[in-house]
Amino acid sequence: MDTDTVTITVANRGNEQFTVDRRRPLLNSLEEQGVSLPYGCKYGGCISCAGKLLSGEINQAAATALNNRQLNDGYILLCVARPLSDCTLDVGVDSHDKLYRNPFASPLRSDELKPDIATPSPINQETNS
Amino acid sequence: MNDDLTSCCGPGYASPAEAMKAPREKLLYTVALYIGTGIQKPDYLATIDADPDSPTYSQVISRLEMPGIGDELHHMGWNACSSCFDDANMERRYLIVPGVRSSNLHIIDCATDPKNPTLHKVINGDEIKAKTDLSAPHTIHCLGSDIIISMLGNAKGEAPGGFLHLNKDFEIVGRWENDLGGMKFNYDFWYQPRHNVMVSSEWAAPNTFMPGFDLEEVGHLKYGRELHFWDFKEKKVDKTFYLGEDGLVPLEVRFHHDPDSSHGFVGAALSSNIIHWYKKDDGEWFWEKIIDVENQPHPNWPIPIPGLISVILLSMDDRYLYFCNWLHGDIRQYDITDPSNPKFTGQVWMGGLLGKAPEVNGRKVTGGPQMIQLSLDGKRLYVTTSLFSTWDNQFYPEIRENGGCMVMVNCDPENGGMEIDKDFFVDFGKEPHGPARCHETRYPGGDCTSDIWI
Repeated sequence: MDTDTVTITVANRGNEQFTVDRRRPLLNSLEEQGVSLPYGCKYGGCISCAGKLLSGEINQAAATALNNRQLNDGYILLCVARPLSDCTLDVGVDSHDKLYRNPFASPLRSDELKPDIATPSPINQETNS
Repeated sequence: MNDDLTSCCGPGYASPAEAMKAPREKLLYTVALYIGTGIQKPDYLATIDADPDSPTYSQVISRLEMPGIGDELHHMGWNACSSCFDDANMERRYLIVPGVRSSNLHIIDCATDPKNPTLHKVINGDEIKAKTDLSAPHTIHCLGSDIIISMLGNAKGEAPGGFLHLNKDFEIVGRWENDLGGMKFNYDFWYQPRHNVMVSSEWAAPNTFMPGFDLEEVGHLKYGRELHFWDFKEKKVDKTFYLGEDGLVPLEVRFHHDPDSSHGFVGAALSSNIIHWYKKDDGEWFWEKIIDVENQPHPNWPIPIPGLISVILLSMDDRYLYFCNWLHGDIRQYDITDPSNPKFTGQVWMGGLLGKAPEVNGRKVTGGPQMIQLSLDGKRLYVTTSLFSTWDNQFYPEIRENGGCMVMVNCDPENGGMEIDKDFFVDFGKEPHGPARCHETRYPGGDCTSDIWI
């Protein structure tokens, strides 16, 4: 078995499966295999390429654009996210149901800000948002 | 080359007064976007017929797609303006159309066939990042035969960015500025050479604003609140004004068109104030708040809604100030004959979150009044409804299905007053590839935010 590759299942594109290199961003790997995806900056600074991780693990250390609420909702930035295991994703704008939020209607708690300015999340806090 | 034998000169006009006598605009160039919509098509430059005698009046008559998707076209500028009026070798021929997210600069030939612009050249964003460590291009002004562009971040999307310098052949010269001083962020700029000054404003780092607007980040000092006065010849920040709570997120910068005037204005988007500045008799720059738009409560939301002044504009005769409250949904007109004491002379409503004008003249408006462009004679204001794809998706998510639109507002430059035109309406929801959004507009002959006199 080739340990450098994992299987990505794209749930909202008919559960189609793709074998991809773990070392490369998912956006590049999936685009090369014919999956048409939105993108913008390609360095993790905007959320145009966001997808939702339904299962599996990824590394997106280069992503700076997502706040903790978006991260808690499973959003990943495909342009910088590299898979650490087999993963199941929703991709494209169809996965953006929780990505956007009117800040005057639904303010962020201090622990929901972007990781560089968020306060630590209270231990054992129940999700009530 | 300019082949008009009655003129010995280059592009533009000898003075603002001459510009006001120019023929009426018959074409509009407006950026139209698919980024953020789910439609996997490039953003494009839409050419709109603005000639009321034409059978295709108020329609998109051609579309120039960018080479790839994901640019987020936003603002644009000409290669030449009235700042090279004395240079017969220059011509207003190319629109420079940047992608904020991609950092690509598209150079578009609008002169060979004005109704069908063509792509002349692309300066790739990766090349700009590699050569200058800059990204996220925003405002473009020409400086005689050179071009400078405000860049809002470094190659990683971090503040403060700087200014990109291109030569007239659209080659990267390097960074324009010598010294950013303590500038924390970058956004818009305007220069007034007879006072050896340039003023620049502050939005935020690309990594902060590109994902959307987290209001809480303002309190964490992730958004700007300062205004920078540059020594224009030395290309360095000479003086910085801290605007504080009165000047949260200062965006569009406009000097008077009169090149002898030191008066200028900036709209503070989040504070929803207009800030005015001028040089006092002792030679010191002075700023003051002259207009304050009150936040409005919403019945179901915990935080009142600011107007969010996303754009301001001055008429060519410097008599009227126009601005948009993108979230409230109104466009306002003030007589600024006395710049310290503006008089509220006109207002129209279209879209917005307050529910005051979901339709105008029977047409649905999605979004709020956003980018505006005024005819040189001051009589027609063209308005589009999209701000920035991620911000649109936060505040006006239905724009994905409905697209943006352009309306025209008839303005009375004699007595003041505004009225939305009943005949002109461009529905970007009906575009061939699906609903698009529309942003900044330029006219082939120059407009009220393109030209500077030196």
